[in-house]
Amino acid sequence: MFLQTQEIIKDFGKLRAVNNVSLEIRKGDVHAIIGPNGAGKSTYFNLITGYHRVDSGKVLFKGEDITGLPSYRRCKIGITRSFQRTSIYPKLSVYEGVLMGLLSHRGVTLNPFSSAKKFFKEEVWHILEDVGLADQANTLGDSISHGDKKRLELAITLGAEPELLLLDEPTCGMSPEETDSTMVLIKKLSEERGITILFTEHDMGVVFGIAKRISVLHQGTLIADGKPEEVRSSEEVQKVYLGGVK
Amino acid sequence: MTQNPLEKERSLLKRGWWLILLIIASMIAPFILTEFYLTILCEALVMSLFALSFNLLFGYMGQLSFGQAAFYGLGGYAVAMFVTKVNFNFWLSLLAGPILAALIGLIVGFFCVRLRGIYFAILTLAFGQLIFVIIFKWHKFTGGDDGIQGVFPPAYLKSAMAYYYLILFVFLASAFILWRIINSPLGQTMKAMRENSERTEFLGIHIAKYQLITFVIAAAFSGLAGAIWVPFYRSVAPAYLTWIKSGEPVMAAILGGSSTFFGPILGMFIMTFFHAYVLGFTHFWPVIMGTLILIIIFLLPGGILGFAQEKLKERRNRQNQLTEE
Repeated sequence: MFLQTQEIIKDFGKLRAVNNVSLEIRKGDVHAIIGPNGAGKSTYFNLITGYHRVDSGKVLFKGEDITGLPSYRRCKIGITRSFQRTSIYPKLSVYEGVLMGLLSHRGVTLNPFSSAKKFFKEEVWHILEDVGLADQANTLGDSISHGDKKRLELAITLGAEPELLLLDEPTCGMSPEETDSTMVLIKKLSEERGITILFTEHDMGVVFGIAKRISVLHQGTLIADGKPEEVRSSEEVQKVYLGGVK
Repeated sequence: MTQNPLEKERSLLKRGWWLILLIIASMIAPFILTEFYLTILCEALVMSLFALSFNLLFGYMGQLSFGQAAFYGLGGYAVAMFVTKVNFNFWLSLLAGPILAALIGLIVGFFCVRLRGIYFAILTLAFGQLIFVIIFKWHKFTGGDDGIQGVFPPAYLKSAMAYYYLILFVFLASAFILWRIINSPLGQTMKAMRENSERTEFLGIHIAKYQLITFVIAAAFSGLAGAIWVPFYRSVAPAYLTWIKSGEPVMAAILGGSSTFFGPILGMFIMTFFHAYVLGFTHFWPVIMGTLILIIIFLLPGGILGFAQEKLKERRNRQNQLTEE
């Protein structure tokens, strides 16, 4: 058991955003959460990463109850995320952004005297080469293209060396070519670095192209969970979701 | 394009040269300057240290402290009281300044780091004024509005020239330590919190804890600045803790450029020397200072050094593009 949510519930006022969702994410999977707008995907992400607290239910990571852990602690034990609206460091260089993740995860951020730039050079360049940003290492975060910013955020999260990486719409706003290369990249990261990936996505082509497992949320409730073909053939899913798209 | 390491080395050396020249100049300054201007130079150095410590919060951590003078003043009061009331060893009294400031900084910071932006600024202002009022009203213990007089350094430090070298040493050592801090992993974390605290938290950083650490470091160096100044001036007064005093490093950082390490120093030097000069013929100093700040904000966004750095970067980029073409 890698990540498990047990009957988790989250209310915003009278709206039940996540309703009793019990789900298991298996180690090494590329797992997609899909559902129409407002289905509760982002809220579900926020509950796993500690951005919001659950109202009831439990979140377990590697057998440990992490329901009450603050988000920075969850990151320390291996859960990192990206955000839907790209979240990077505008006035730090691409290199420094990735370095930040490594400094934090390897626990040297309290060091007040050594030069930060001397740390983890090899690891930073390795990540930058993996995501294809090595030639922009010295550029400031806000002066690269939108697609590159998305990839920078991915690189920054990789710096934190996650075991479980949650990507909230990783290809949002990308051109078809950028989307394709990003999906190839995500697959590669999962395979080469052994990172378990949980992601949300609007583009069904992307989802069915890469996900090993798919879970479908509808109005906060989990209505299907399984392999892509199982989900595709589920009647309920077709009714509430895929039917509307096709 | 990745930077050629050799080229980087060379630019570092180039950068180092003006610094070495400035340090040599500061070493021989007492032999050239009149005593009046030597006093002003002492004040400029002390206030520059104060501004540097303030800028750790403002420029690097991204939060505006409007009560920093409380720590400057506490440092001054600590040394004054130890020297005059208990006749304590001078050097240990000096040390008491930053220690007291850091301790109070720990308490004040504990509350302030829970807030951001304008709320952080207002709360630091409130705490600053609170500490000021305590010192101002507690006549029996602190001397109230009379302050404390007769804070003498040891005999061998009584001449302005000797004390100048002490100030210079403390300033250079502190600036070096602060420089190391901002380039360290801890400093990198400060910058990351400034740029995007949410992103940083989701990389595993406990934001409040790191902001508190920064707050305490800033308070300690502000306290050190106050502690080193008071024996030179021979007295301390509650005015050292007021919000007006807190405003000085804010102006210096804006004037010189808060995004650069040396900006606040340049800003404070301009302010201090300009102040001394202007007071020679008018008392309307705040009007002139205000006008200067306005001009800088409108004509040189980012402050003097911030603006210069931006221009240099643009020029270098243009040159890079030309060579690539």
